[in-house]
Amino acid sequence: MKEVMAMIRINKINETKKALNAAGITSFTATGRVLGRGKGLVDYRVLDGAKEGKPEALTHLGSGPRLVPKRLITVVVSDDWVERTVKAIIDVNQTGNAGDGKIFVLPILEATRVRTRETVSGASGGTVLDSSGGLE
Amino acid sequence: MLMIRAMVRPEKANDVLAGLLEAGYPAVTRISVYGRGKQRGLTAGGVTYDELPKELLLTVIKDKDKEFVVNTIIEQARSGSEGAFGDGKIFVSPVIESYTISSGVKETSAEE
Repeated sequence: MKEVMAMIRINKINETKKALNAAGITSFTATGRVLGRGKGLVDYRVLDGAKEGKPEALTHLGSGPRLVPKRLITVVVSDDWVERTVKAIIDVNQTGNAGDGKIFVLPILEATRVRTRETVSGASGGTVLDSSGGLE
Repeated sequence: MLMIRAMVRPEKANDVLAGLLEAGYPAVTRISVYGRGKQRGLTAGGVTYDELPKELLLTVIKDKDKEFVVNTIIEQARSGSEGAFGDGKIFVSPVIESYTISSGVKETSAEE
């Protein structure tokens, strides 16, 4: 099993939910709002604004990259579903601009369904993950 | 690739972020969380706080940078020179693949 962790734009959450649903992944966890920053060290809008002498831009100078609100979603899927999940997320979230987000794939050792105590480990989620690959 | 998850004091989070930035690791995600550790919360003046607010900092780095990044975080997150209960924890877990959504570029830990 793998955990697919994606930081995405806040306004893309509904489209992402729909896309995951359409791809057959019905279950996932979303963390309300997280703050993040990426590799973009220079915001050119601030530099341009500062050149024009705009006070809002001047106050941002020298403060380093600011943290931007993002959504964090995590999906646990069996190994053969990772590609489909990643593709579904990229397809709907890609605008081509910096700030679209990141996806990380991490290994999961074991999954347990609390209701029945069923526990599975290994590549496929077995009975704990439903046939479509997502957690039931 | 490795994912570093650091639970730090909320008042230290900005120091850690600045420290990481200076050290050349700008990409971080920050989440507000509540938790408790081995001291089972905190008792102050007869009031027990079961869970204390912390900031969870999440960053993905190359394997070889692990020690440096962990040391950078510890240096900034520790209170005083000795450290104190409640300064937090750092967990390191493996990351198999990472994707940049804007370009669709895929990186795998095997490529490193």
